[in-house]
Formats: sequence, structure tokens, C-alpha cells
Amino acid sequence: MNLLAWLTTTDHKRIGILYLTTSLFYLLVAGALALGIRTQLARPENTVVDAHTYAQMFTLHGTAMIFLVIAPFALGLANFLIPLQIGAAEMAFPRLNATSYWLFLFGGLVVFGGAASAEGAAATGWTAYAPLSEIAVSTGIGQDLWIVGVFLVSVATILTAINLITTTFVYRAPGMTMWRLPIFTWEMVATSLLIFMAFPALAADLLLLFVDRRFGGHAFDPNGGGSAVLWQHLFWFFGHPEVYVMILPYFGVISEIIPVFSRKPIFGYTGLVLSAFAIAGLSMGVWAHHMFTTGAVNNPFFSFVSFLIAVPTGVKFFNWIGTMWRGSITFPTPMLFSVGFLLNFLFGGVTGVMVASPPIDYHAQDSYFVVAHFHYTLGGGSLFAIFAALFFWWPKMFGSLLDERLGKLCFWLLFVGFNVTFLPMHLAGIDGMPRRVVTYADMGALPLLNLIATLGSYVMAAGVVVFVVNVVLTMRRRIPAGNDPWGANSLEWWTSSPPHEHGFTSLPPIRSERPVFDARHPEVAVRR
Amino acid sequence: MTTGLRLFISSGAFSIAIAVSYWLVAHEVVGTFLLGFMALALSFVAGYMIVAEREADLVGDRGDAQRADAAGEVVGSFSVHSPLPVWAALALTGIVLGLVVSPVLAGLGLVAALAVGALFIVQSR
Repeated sequence: MNLLAWLTTTDHKRIGILYLTTSLFYLLVAGALALGIRTQLARPENTVVDAHTYAQMFTLHGTAMIFLVIAPFALGLANFLIPLQIGAAEMAFPRLNATSYWLFLFGGLVVFGGAASAEGAAATGWTAYAPLSEIAVSTGIGQDLWIVGVFLVSVATILTAINLITTTFVYRAPGMTMWRLPIFTWEMVATSLLIFMAFPALAADLLLLFVDRRFGGHAFDPNGGGSAVLWQHLFWFFGHPEVYVMILPYFGVISEIIPVFSRKPIFGYTGLVLSAFAIAGLSMGVWAHHMFTTGAVNNPFFSFVSFLIAVPTGVKFFNWIGTMWRGSITFPTPMLFSVGFLLNFLFGGVTGVMVASPPIDYHAQDSYFVVAHFHYTLGGGSLFAIFAALFFWWPKMFGSLLDERLGKLCFWLLFVGFNVTFLPMHLAGIDGMPRRVVTYADMGALPLLNLIATLGSYVMAAGVVVFVVNVVLTMRRRIPAGNDPWGANSLEWWTSSPPHEHGFTSLPPIRSERPVFDARHPEVAVRR
Repeated sequence: MTTGLRLFISSGAFSIAIAVSYWLVAHEVVGTFLLGFMALALSFVAGYMIVAEREADLVGDRGDAQRADAAGEVVGSFSVHSPLPVWAALALTGIVLGLVVSPVLAGLGLVAALAVGALFIVQSR
């Protein structure tokens, strides 16, 4: 492997793989931190780590999962796939694309670099609420490094979003109209639009906090005329759309996989596309449902809009089920993970509707019920889709299929482990266990629920180990998979595996959203 | 009007609607400003696209376009390598990291960023 070639690459496929590899590395680190957290909570009044170390662990875990794993993995996937799916040779701005990746990598390293400082890494949670994150309380430079690191990542993300939108709008192959785009590309357009609207608020928020801490500002300091609630407004104006930045791409992944293994075209293409933009638009108007208990926001407005988001999300579920309905369904590993995604995300969605109701939210706020809810959406949802994507597109990226038996073992370990870990957290939350506490009293069902959750997390870790073994074995064997091992639909399956440096040597006629299927089955080709 | 332009116009219109609704319901300044700026940004892009699309004729927008329609002059192959991105990212990281740990590092980062910018301009000519 030529290191210099990777350092200087502007090839969207290599940059995509760099993104994916880096975000998987951060996933392993964040997973190890999660295991540490669960080990500490396995027994009441445990002393595996002290309170400050524990706070750093959950801060770095949350920061890594949100900023360095789930969203960047989607950007990596988009980098690799979108030019191929639309029949383009490259991204619109290749050098800007590479710069974005390096900023993301360095930003993550800066965040984690805080752990090497005297007072350790940031310990204020991934939300870094003011005044907790102000210099008067968080005195170490770990918090400053967190701010500038996340700032770099946010700039990188904005630049990538601009690149993705421009590429999709301008660089489509002849005949690839917008209404023939694969659903994954559509979902990434909606995601990029969300990034474009939401991330500047985060960047502004971080800059203000940095000025407060280093240059004597008072933006979030009530004693100096500032407002701590302002931090929450700016943060959640980014933070809730960010939830959809972390899920819309994976709706796209699932929408690519389910039709292939149901042997049917996607059901309700237009509905899927419009629902993505409905979710994106509505998600910009729900930020303060994270602030119900502050008493400083209009709860009915935010509750109503939050409920509304369930409608387009329900449309998507209807589409996926409609696609599978009466299909010739098979269950290779990507499809297993996709079905796991549907089950987990549905559960997380339902509890999401519950906490969108202020009377319930007042009880659930900052409890393990909320922890369980968002892990079902982002862990059981996005993370399962990440594995689905890895198993599905691995042959396109590297030319060989991952082992199916190990893949299925990985799925079942993750699926069982995930539900054993997070299902009991709902009950712990209802029993009153607050989140972000280093330990808890030996009372009621809490010790048993936490022990079960910890055992589940170890089962999940075993699933990840099986995946790593699978990757190592596959890279050693390198059995060629061919251009299209799944019999798939979209344009990336037309080119070689792995693809040529400039994408394609030839293109089929593009007359529907399934050009590869049309080319291979002209007798049933559909013209839109 | 292309689908992309419709997308930005409808997003901008939706943002204006939700900003106005929010103000009427909540009378809250910060959120209204945030939504207002969002509407402004989307409207700006929509406006830019209206101007830019006057002369645009993309083969990707034509449903019956053939591969030959995209043919033009032979421009050769382009390089898929450049050292500038990694240097640019290092320079920007140096600037922000320098603000935390050392002004000297920030200064070095600034010099490096200017050098990368100059190199970019020279290479682009």
C-alpha cells in the first residue's frame, strides 16, 4: 500500500474508504468506552472508575458516536457511492473533498487529545451545556480542545454537504434525472440540506463558548448579561436536525437493500423521496423539545411539530413493508441487519413519540428512559444500518464478499446483545435512574436491570469481535465477488469491483431508477 | 425550472412559513432569528440557482439524453492526487489548536494556510 498515494488522494472512492475506516476506528474506541461505562454500572456503588473519569468517558463516547462515527460514516458512504450512483467520474470539488476528510480526522484527534492534558478530556457530556462548560467550572484545556475539535469536524461536515449537493445537481450522467436518482442519493441530498441549515448554528455556538472561555465573553454567563438557555437554543437548533443527519442516510441504505433482497422495485419511490424532505423540514422546527423542562420554550408548538414527524417516518415504514410484501425475500446478512434496523428503529420511534409529549417528558427527562430511547434509534437504527451497508457494499469497495456465516453470527450477537442491553434501561429510567451518574444505590430492581444491561453490552462486543475476524479473514482470502454479486439495481453495480479510478468505462442507458436492472432484464424494463 | 431549484424554493418557503408561525405562536426572539436566518440562507441559494440556471443545460436533466450528448472536447485525464488538501487541513488545525495551546503554533498555522492558498492560486492558473 502506497502511503503517499493515500495521503494525497482526491479520488472520491479512496476518500470514502478513508472516512469509513476512520469512523470505524472511532467506533471501536467509543465502543470500548461504552464497555467501561457498563462495567462501572454493573454493580451498585461500584468503584472501577472515579466520577471525573466516568464523566470524561461518557463525554468522549457520546462525542465520538455523534460527531465521529454515525454521521461521518454516512458521509464516507456518500463519498464512495454518490458519484457512482449518478454516473459521475468524481465529486464536484475533489480537493475540497479531501480537505474535508483531513479536517474531520484532525478534529477527532484534537477532541481525544484532551485526554492527554493534566485535567483530562472534556467532561461535560456531548451536549457541553453552559454554564457547566464555562471556564469557571470546567477549567482544563480538555474542554477547549473539545470545542475546537468539534468546530473542525463541523466545518468539514458543512464543506462535504456543499460538495454532495453540487455533485448531485450538476454531475449526473445523461438521462439520470433527479427523479431517477437512487433513494440513497436522495436521502443524502436531504441530509446535506439539513447539514447546510443546522451545522452553522453549532459552529456559531462553539465560537461563542470559546470566546467566553478564552477571551472573557459573557454570551452564556447570566452574571455578565448572557443566557445559559441561549446555548441550549443554538445547540439544539443543530442537535435535533443532527439526529436526522444520523438517520436519513441510513433510511437510504435500507431503501437500497430491501428491494434487492425482496426481488421487487421499491414501493412508493416518490413517497419515500418526499417523506425524506418532510422529515428534514419538520426536524428544523422541533429543537426545543429537548428543552421542555427549562420552562423557557413554547411546549405545545414543539410537541405538535415533533408528533408530526412521525407521519413521514410512518410513510417510510409503509414503503419498506410494501416493498417486502409478496416479494421473493431472502435473508443474507445485509437483509438481516435491515430487518433488525426496522424492528429496533420502530421501537425507538415509538418511545420518541412518547417523550415528545411534555407530560411524559417531564418524568423521563435526563433518565435512562431517554438513554434507551435514543440508543434504539441511533444504535439499533443507524448502527445496524451501518453493518447492513458494510456487508452490502463491501464487495463493491474491495472486490470480495464478507463471510456469510460469520456475518449472520455477528448479526445475532449484535441483535440479542443490543436488546438485552437497552431494553432494561427503559425500566431503569421509569424506576428513576438518572443518566450520567457514576453509580447508584442498591435499591429496587436497579442492580438487576443494570447487570443485565452490562451482560448485553459484552454480547454486543463479541459481535463486533466476530465482525473484525470476518474482515481479517476476507482480506486474506480475497475471493472475487464479481461486479454485481447481489443482482442489484443502481448504477454502482455496473462498474467493476473495486471500481476503476475514474468510475466507469461504460454506462448503460438510464431510463428509470433501476438502470442496471433494466440493462440486464430489458424484457421487463420500466420507463419513467 | 429544475427539480433542484424547486427543492430550494420550496425549502425556503417552508422556512419562512415556519419562522412566521413560530413567532406568532411563541413570541420568542432567538428561535425566530434562527429560523429567519435559515430561510434567508435557503432563499439566497434559490436566488443564486435562478440566476445560474439561465445558461445551464445539463444532460442529466434530460430524461431522453444519450451518452453521446455528454460528449465534448477531449480534455484528457485528470490527476487524482494533490498534496494541498492535507496541508490545508494541517494549517487550519494548527490555527485553531494554536489558539488553545500556543500563539506560536497559531501563527505557524496562519503562515502555512497562506502558503497553501498561494500555491492553490498558482496551480489553478
